[in-house]
Amino acid sequence: MRPRASIRSHLQDALPKIVLAPSFAITIVFVYGFILWTIYLSFTNSKTFPSYAITGARAYQRLWGWTFDTDPPSSWYTSITNMGIFGFLYILICLALGLFLAILLDQKIRGEGMLRPIYLYPMALSFIVTGVAWKWFLDPGLGLEQTLHQWGWSSFHFDWIKNKDFVIYTVVIAGVWQASGFIMAMFLAGLRGIDGEIMKAAQIDGATTFQLYRRIVIPLLRPIFLSAFIVLAHLAIKSYDLVVALTSGGPGGSAWLPSNFMYEYTFKRNEMAVGSASAVIMLMTIVAIIVPYLYSELREKPR
Amino acid sequence: MSAIASSSRQSGASTKVLNRVVIYGLLALFALFYLMPLFVMLVTSFKTMDEIQNGNMLSLPKAPTFEPWLKAWGQTCVGLTCAGIKGYFWNSIKMVVPAVIISTLLGALNGYVLTKWRFRGHTLVFGLMLFACFIPFQSVLLPMATILGSLGRFGVSLQNSIGTSLGLGNPTVNLIFVHVVYGIGFTTLFFRNYYEAFPTELVKAAQVDGASFFQIFRRIMLPNSMPIFVVTVIYQFTNIWNDFLFASAYAGTGDAMPMTVALNNVVNTSTGVVEYNVNMAAAMIAALPTLLVYVLAGRYFVRGLMAGAVKG
Amino acid sequence: MAFLEIDGLRKRFGNVEILKGINLELEKGGFLVLVGPSGCGKSTLLNTIAGLETITAGEIRVDGRAINDLHPSKRDIAMVFQSYALYPNMTVAGNISFGMEMRGVPADERQKAIDKVAKVLQIGHLLQRKPSQLSGGQRQRVAMGRALVRDPKLFLFDEPLSNLDAKLRVDMRIEIKRLHATTGTTIVYVTHDQIEAMTLATKIAVMRDGEVQQFGTPAEIYNNPSNMFVADFMGSPAMNLIPATVGVNGHGLAVVMQREAREPISLPLANAPAGLSEFKDKPVIFGVRPEALTDPEGAERNASAIATANLHIEVVEPAGSDTFAVTNLGGKGVVARLRADANIQPGSNTALAFNLTKAVFFDPATEKRIF
Repeated sequence: MRPRASIRSHLQDALPKIVLAPSFAITIVFVYGFILWTIYLSFTNSKTFPSYAITGARAYQRLWGWTFDTDPPSSWYTSITNMGIFGFLYILICLALGLFLAILLDQKIRGEGMLRPIYLYPMALSFIVTGVAWKWFLDPGLGLEQTLHQWGWSSFHFDWIKNKDFVIYTVVIAGVWQASGFIMAMFLAGLRGIDGEIMKAAQIDGATTFQLYRRIVIPLLRPIFLSAFIVLAHLAIKSYDLVVALTSGGPGGSAWLPSNFMYEYTFKRNEMAVGSASAVIMLMTIVAIIVPYLYSELREKPR
Repeated sequence: MSAIASSSRQSGASTKVLNRVVIYGLLALFALFYLMPLFVMLVTSFKTMDEIQNGNMLSLPKAPTFEPWLKAWGQTCVGLTCAGIKGYFWNSIKMVVPAVIISTLLGALNGYVLTKWRFRGHTLVFGLMLFACFIPFQSVLLPMATILGSLGRFGVSLQNSIGTSLGLGNPTVNLIFVHVVYGIGFTTLFFRNYYEAFPTELVKAAQVDGASFFQIFRRIMLPNSMPIFVVTVIYQFTNIWNDFLFASAYAGTGDAMPMTVALNNVVNTSTGVVEYNVNMAAAMIAALPTLLVYVLAGRYFVRGLMAGAVKG
Repeated sequence: MAFLEIDGLRKRFGNVEILKGINLELEKGGFLVLVGPSGCGKSTLLNTIAGLETITAGEIRVDGRAINDLHPSKRDIAMVFQSYALYPNMTVAGNISFGMEMRGVPADERQKAIDKVAKVLQIGHLLQRKPSQLSGGQRQRVAMGRALVRDPKLFLFDEPLSNLDAKLRVDMRIEIKRLHATTGTTIVYVTHDQIEAMTLATKIAVMRDGEVQQFGTPAEIYNNPSNMFVADFMGSPAMNLIPATVGVNGHGLAVVMQREAREPISLPLANAPAGLSEFKDKPVIFGVRPEALTDPEGAERNASAIATANLHIEVVEPAGSDTFAVTNLGGKGVVARLRADANIQPGSNTALAFNLTKAVFFDPATEKRIF
């Protein structure tokens, strides 16, 4: 009697784990297993097809040993320089603009209910649609430049999208357009979450509106800054579609980000090992940002 | 004294009015910035090519025409096939619906286990699943392509031997699988955070009442999870519909292309005259489902984004 | 044999022992209250009885049958939770009958049982409402209805009144007591409120740090606390625990307490037990409840040992039904409970009577009761 009951109760105890197991197994195999596989490939000399003979860090040497001075100049260096420019400007402008708009919207604005969705809707669009829209808008022959010429400002010149030195900034514009509204919503939620009594106390203490924001409100929004930074950093490193749709990679690959580099080298130029190496570097960058964040988030509430 | 006070009050009132004007002005300006591309896209899609080449980008169409939309839907060329984007639109639907349903249900079950049936190491399990949300998919792209390739070959041999491939090698099935695999991290996160705040005493009460693991899930958890279901479904729908990387890597050519890839092909096609109005109509069609969701359920949409961004 | 027996029960979470060998028993129809400060393990103990938490060692028996390995639903218990835990998606009727539904009771029988319980608790008009449409007191009733309808061997209550406001809490307390009296069920009840414990229980277990400090009837616990913790925890205002020494006064023992800026007071202990002489000239803790320290006219007439002392009154708190006066003895504030109309002024020196038959002594080193 006893052992039978205990077999059944064992099964019942195990049921939650059995339910969770498939998802966990999938994650282990298709995320962590595949990451290891990619890391492995980056140490081979795989070209069009995977090869499983370890040949050392050749792919990494090729990536880093090949600079702007070599001929042709390094696409990898272009990609990571672009990443630096794009990442820095994209995150900075989104944070600044998002915070600015959130503060404006928090001034008891009539019509807030109408404005908020307008700022936010680009987040619902795909990068591809965003890219198509901005490609049109920024096209010198059809878009903004042409329109201003028609309005009589004939000296206006704006051809960044066709200029290999400036094309990455058009990616920044489109990216900011898409994500800044969302960052605004995050900050707005943060502002609304601040205890009104703190604000009243500061006003009684004689703080001006500017001081109130600089000394009280913005410091209180620190957790939102962190979350927004994580979101943006992670979006920036993953950005791939936007470059494709907006610039098709830019003149001579001048708008590439590492994600584009990876895709091109792996699937189009048959340099699988080099592509894998670049993917590993992207992953490591994310790990460096995300892991400390997740660790602290999950530790905060020990149970 | 009182005169000074009242005059300063007056000047205070006028700066206040000025402040309001500046604030509203700035807000309106930014509203224009966000609306402009959509506006241009929309008006262009109703113009004739003639008007586009000779007119102003911002002007309303003089003779609005549905022609570009019809052409985009039924006739435009994607690669070498000129049958419009309608087939690709349905491809996306066929891919999105099952992927959303499966990943959401799995996420709900996972969240339930991870909050109400905790076991030693549950934080580690959740941490590993959560981290999977953040990886750049480039780091799994190639192995997945290899595996899908082998499964496809296996499917062909199945087809030859038993007459059905069981869906193996079908690009739509492949994409469903991929989106489920890389979506459960997010869905689990959503449900875990939601159920974390769900009163555990309800589960205990149901246990005392004699409900089993699945009965508690079905009778107690699910009926009280509507908001998070809506949030998760919208989030997953938007993400999967808008995906381009997986779509182009695993269904980048042929009839099974999802909408995003097809749109990119339409727009970047180098043959013949570029029909901007048709391109814009195609882009609008590709954007419509997610825009519609946003308009109908914006509140939940934002909540989903927030939940994905800020851990509860 | 008792109806509920808990035998050497231990519960460990990793290295932390939450329950350190609990032994309790309760007769059929009894009302056991587990009381103690938060974190003392009382809720964990209740959860182990319910089967919602596993135990590390020991045994729990109900009606002679060990139940510690059974699933909660197989233990024939019902539980009322602190938050009531009403299923928000079901109506009141659905909440009450969910357990029967899970057991496969036919619909018509369920309906009968619902009607019966609704009548007892007077919630018939609420049956089709959702929990969100109920007031706190109504939710409390429904939660009890859900437990009652099961007609279980054992009722478990986990701080059921702590979410109610003060007035409603008193009403529901009376209701629970009435319910217990009319149905004769066996109840285990967790609370941190010592008044609830005193008013409801037939047996009280005072707990601290995973151990039972004292187990007995409310009167035993109140009048004969076994240690300083129990003495301090039970009763409001709390028992005065005054640092003192045992001295000699005339030919008998006396308790000697320091006063501020005056000579110590010495109260003769008329019939002190032999054990106390061991503590002669040693420090003790002299425990006297506020109601045993009062104005001489209000002192109990038939108490055999009354000692009066002149005390400096620092604060007077008129509380309506009583007046409390605070003085200082042995370096501590000491509360006396006087009649409402007692004429007493702060700053005055007033004679107060100690009822020494109700006084208790503790060893300050072990905090255990001496006498």
